[in-house]
Amino acid sequence: MSADENDSQVKQEPEELPSASKRSRPLPKAGRLFQEQTPKIFEAAPRDLRRLTRRDLLVFGAGSLAALASFRYLLPQDTLARLGVDALDSPRKERFLNGALRFDDDVAEAIYSSDRLVPTYSKSQITPLKNNYEGVTPDPSYIPGWRLHLEGLASGLSLSLDLPTLLARFRSHEQITRFVCVEGWSAIAWWSGLKFADLLQAYPPISQARWAGVNSSLNLDENGNPDPYYASLDLATARHPQTLLATHFNGQSLTVDHGAPLRLLVPVKLGLKNVKAVTKITYTVDEPSDYWAERGYSHYDGI
Amino acid sequence: MSESSASASMMHPTQTNGSPVAAGVSAKETTVPVIRKHHLLVRWSHWLNVPILLGLILSGMSIYWASPVYQHNPDPSTGNVDYVADIGTWICAHVPGLHHYSSPPDWIYNHMSLGPYLLANALRLHWFFAYLFMLNGLVYILGLALSGDWRALLPRLTDLRDAAKVQLYYVGKPFAVLLRRTWLHPRFTTKYNALQRLAYFSMPVAACLSIATGWSIHKPMQLHWLVAIFGGYNAARMWHFWLMWLFILFVVPHVILVFTDGWDTLRSMIAGWSARVHGSEGFEDER
Repeated sequence: MSADENDSQVKQEPEELPSASKRSRPLPKAGRLFQEQTPKIFEAAPRDLRRLTRRDLLVFGAGSLAALASFRYLLPQDTLARLGVDALDSPRKERFLNGALRFDDDVAEAIYSSDRLVPTYSKSQITPLKNNYEGVTPDPSYIPGWRLHLEGLASGLSLSLDLPTLLARFRSHEQITRFVCVEGWSAIAWWSGLKFADLLQAYPPISQARWAGVNSSLNLDENGNPDPYYASLDLATARHPQTLLATHFNGQSLTVDHGAPLRLLVPVKLGLKNVKAVTKITYTVDEPSDYWAERGYSHYDGI
Repeated sequence: MSESSASASMMHPTQTNGSPVAAGVSAKETTVPVIRKHHLLVRWSHWLNVPILLGLILSGMSIYWASPVYQHNPDPSTGNVDYVADIGTWICAHVPGLHHYSSPPDWIYNHMSLGPYLLANALRLHWFFAYLFMLNGLVYILGLALSGDWRALLPRLTDLRDAAKVQLYYVGKPFAVLLRRTWLHPRFTTKYNALQRLAYFSMPVAACLSIATGWSIHKPMQLHWLVAIFGGYNAARMWHFWLMWLFILFVVPHVILVFTDGWDTLRSMIAGWSARVHGSEGFEDER
């Protein structure tokens, strides 16, 4: 029995709890709002308390088991294998986790604004940008014969444009922006090229088009074999004033490392949408396939 | 132990008409006073934080692995740039039994994350748990608002000094036990002592900062003003990383102290009530 209980019995003031007595001083109204309240004390039969505790413990135990089960369901196979647990690999799991990814994409699309410009930097803030080609960097011998193919145009034609035509036809814009990779690294780089919006205006897509499929047939895998790369880009983002089809990097013509002779530069998306050495753009009504979305990453990738 | 002694004394008939609530109840020896502790929503969100934070940390460290924010120049022999991988290598070199670990640089990632080479999986899980974390935070805030218990969490002007006293008590307690000395806990009449209050108040603050830094890493272009508040993109990543460590640093003593304090305290977060109506033994006297 603690000392204060003894005191209260001696003083015959059992209703004055020590905690309550400290708070009985009147306070100004604003002070009372922030004042800790005297805790509520209830009388209960021990039998009822045992029953309620048993009930809450059962709920707690069921919840713990449910949490364990959902971890077994959600964690990647490799992680579970390391823990010595068999994975439950069902298509439902993939659909569930892709649902989380889709939800996040919808949030990203909702907060996107075509008038919101990304921050730009000065030349002194430029940082090195590494060549992040997954496979072998292509040999520059493709550059002289390179052409950009456009499909899904309102005219119904398929167009094929070479670099001098593009450079002559469109005004060049330059910007120093941050390039953000899904892996977490980022770099500030100086780009110049034509605005995607200008290309869309000059060669309008079919009226119902909402998407651009941006392809590079020049991409190679790690053994040097062709591994065409393709990214989906919503036209709302393609029309963003800072979305470029870049031809120059840090004041020089693009090198193969950075996707010569023309790459997509879309600073409001993760780096993986910034297709290097673009060879074909196809406008579509439905979302075209996306290389990394097929490998478990997001479709929208808006940042 | 203190719980049972308190309940035993409460069954004394002179005590039953003492508590204001008991006045309405017909006095019987069979009832005991209990004190309301935590709102149902606070308890649910408290326990849901366990799997959610675990999921966030495991997936978060897998994301960190893909491009560590703390990097040094490439190691001449291994090419490694990651300080976290270095710590794993050090652990495997110095901890007995780990000398033959197959991939020392992955040791930390194999024990504190989903594992290396799982970026796509980790991102999906991180978003899933992050949205749950934000929802759970709203449940917590709702529980605090409905119960009025947010008042018990507000730091007071005297808290720094009082928290130091409680800290001193915790540091001295093991020695006092060894030397068989009496070592009394500083007296407090509020729901939490000053150190608890600072610790519990810092958690929702850290959660808000984690969410804000998380969003600024996730949407650095649309939310570039938020990135600027944290001092840039990489700075936001560093904040996010250290906030994770703050949660881990909180959890370790939190769990130890709950088990030291006993079943009554643990039960109060499961069932919501406590039988420690008058505080417990080992406390300083009221002066």
